[in-house]
Amino acid sequence: MMQSVVHTVLAGLSAGMFIWLVASGLTLIFGVLGVLNFAHGSFYMLGAYMCYTVLRYVGPDFWVALLIAPLSVCIIGYVVERWFLRYVYHLALPYQLLLTFAFVLIFDNLAKMVWGAGSVTPPDLSTLNGTVSILGRNFPVYNLFIIGVGPLVAAGLWLFLERTWYGRIIRAASSDREMAASIGVSVPALFTAVFVFGTWLGALGGGLAVPYVGLVTTGMGETIIIEAFIVAVIGGLGSLKGAFLGALVLGVLTAFGTRFFPAFDMFLTFILMAGVLLVRPQGLFGTAR
Amino acid sequence: MQKKGINRRQFLKLTGAGSLVAAAGTIGGGLTLPKGLWAATPAIKGPIKIGYQTVLSGTLAGYGEFHKMGLLMAVDEINAKGGIAGRKVEVEVRDSTLKPDDAIKNARYFVDSWGADFLGGIDSSGQALALAPLMDKLDRVLIVTHAATEKLTEDFVYRKGVRQIFRNCMPTYNDGNAAAFIAKDFPAVKWATVSPKYEYGFTCWKMFRETLTKLKPGVSFTAESWAPFGTTDFRSHINTILDAKPDGLYSTEWAGELISFLKQAKEAGLFDKIRYVMLPVGAAMDVLEGMGKDMPDNLWISGRYYFQYPNNKTNNEWVARFRKRWGHYPAYVSETAYSCVYAIKEAVEKAGSKDTGAVIQAMEGMGMNSPAGHRVFRKEDHQAIYDVPWGKTKADPKFPFKVMGDMKVLPAKEYFNRPPFEGPGTTPPFK
Repeated sequence: MMQSVVHTVLAGLSAGMFIWLVASGLTLIFGVLGVLNFAHGSFYMLGAYMCYTVLRYVGPDFWVALLIAPLSVCIIGYVVERWFLRYVYHLALPYQLLLTFAFVLIFDNLAKMVWGAGSVTPPDLSTLNGTVSILGRNFPVYNLFIIGVGPLVAAGLWLFLERTWYGRIIRAASSDREMAASIGVSVPALFTAVFVFGTWLGALGGGLAVPYVGLVTTGMGETIIIEAFIVAVIGGLGSLKGAFLGALVLGVLTAFGTRFFPAFDMFLTFILMAGVLLVRPQGLFGTAR
Repeated sequence: MQKKGINRRQFLKLTGAGSLVAAAGTIGGGLTLPKGLWAATPAIKGPIKIGYQTVLSGTLAGYGEFHKMGLLMAVDEINAKGGIAGRKVEVEVRDSTLKPDDAIKNARYFVDSWGADFLGGIDSSGQALALAPLMDKLDRVLIVTHAATEKLTEDFVYRKGVRQIFRNCMPTYNDGNAAAFIAKDFPAVKWATVSPKYEYGFTCWKMFRETLTKLKPGVSFTAESWAPFGTTDFRSHINTILDAKPDGLYSTEWAGELISFLKQAKEAGLFDKIRYVMLPVGAAMDVLEGMGKDMPDNLWISGRYYFQYPNNKTNNEWVARFRKRWGHYPAYVSETAYSCVYAIKEAVEKAGSKDTGAVIQAMEGMGMNSPAGHRVFRKEDHQAIYDVPWGKTKADPKFPFKVMGDMKVLPAKEYFNRPPFEGPGTTPPFK
């Protein structure tokens, strides 16, 4: 029983960390730019495809792939923000959703044209390969690594936003655009930078998912973006702290649901979301607007 | 979604108008006359139009591409040799999206606007069951090439008499019943499953349990873990199975989800602990190629068709032609899509007509040769009867992926449910 519970928690934590990596970029972009970016799941997918491509054609070094892949997706993020999204900031939310949703379809089809419609599988990796025995059952080393990466990203983000000059500027611009602009902050450039950084987080999640999931497919971003949205809503839209906690809760809850209450595992997520929204409509750490 | 709907409606109008113009053109500009043997068959007018739907988007889009490869090969071959009954074959392929309402929309478009004479394709059981009740109104022969639920042929064709529906791919009888025939010879008595959390997964596991219990009283089924569509993380499911400590694992996971499941189960050491593993659709090419050398040895796999069976001239030549044209080994859906067009050819030429009623009559009980071997469309339920192999994964230096070793071929007649599909003597084993 003990073994089973511990392994369920571990499985939940590693699943939750992926949701967090995607939700963090989504939340950051919403918090600062005020845009709900549907295409964020596509950045996750593209990160995975680029990672696969580097592994396949440059060499099976996972760290190199993890460095190059998310950065290459950042170029795409830059183009999306600079030449498209920037022109709809002043429009109503539905226009922004429509535009970012269009990008989901475009990227899915582009991926299909470039990498083919089927799934692609990465070459075998020696990085972090192998398992450790925890209470007599094997647990992949890679998953432990993922469980470590999540909090690292969270701590890094927090330090950056709370303790650096750039972080202060970002917070200033997100709470009052006009005021920030009037004291000399170049808000458009700042928005581009934040969007590109959010893109990087999503693509990093995709890259990390390659050895974890074991294959890359078009449409792989769609499942995770829904979970990331749920987490963002539970945590309070725009709140990184909320997204982190929400991702952990969702990951572990889903794992327990699958293991111990299989009849309800698909509902648990939505029951959680409905419950949180009933008690706190603004989410766990959201501010009422 | 709203926007898409409007576009589609506009599109329908446009294409509807287009085909009217085309039809007027044909009448005005003189008919393309049938040639050769069929010159004297005035019953068939115009081309033979096949509306085919399969999944072309999302994570399973690879299946659609493999459908298309088989389909186009058949159409090109047939047209190069003078068509069906001297008439050209035309196909249009639409994205089924795997959603039931889109299956219906596509079928309506094909019949009402495009003027399809035949319908083919359909990947998901849910889609097949949604479309089935409409088939007598649409009144076109539909050949299902992938969806496997036995309810389609048992309930709709046999019980409700929707005679327009045929299926040329293996139904769940292979996934459930045949698996039980293979599993009965193992020393394993405790079985568990990780399978898809929808119709296909449920119905296969039920059939496997019922048949295995009859064949080998005393077996027990200790754990079931159902993975929703789109699952990429199987660790909790694997924990459920490891906790139950079964002797055997049965799984109807398929495509990319099966690849993820196998990789993650291997990492967790599942195949060291559970020695008997049955994967009824594990012999699909996307899974074999996707797993590559990573595929564990000695897993029992099967499929709706497997490129090394039957080892005869027809099949081997077809596989060679397929590889030459597409650079791939044929997936099972490539074979069923290919054979679907040839089934239409045989039936139309036998009937001397493309009228639905005449074609149905011709197809009932019709036998045909195909790469997968000899198929017979059973008269009562319109299910094609043909044999597929089961075997154990093993390495072969000639292939970059694991192939099927120790092949066992059970005659389909021995394990297909039989009409009237209820009461004693309708499910295997048969005396």
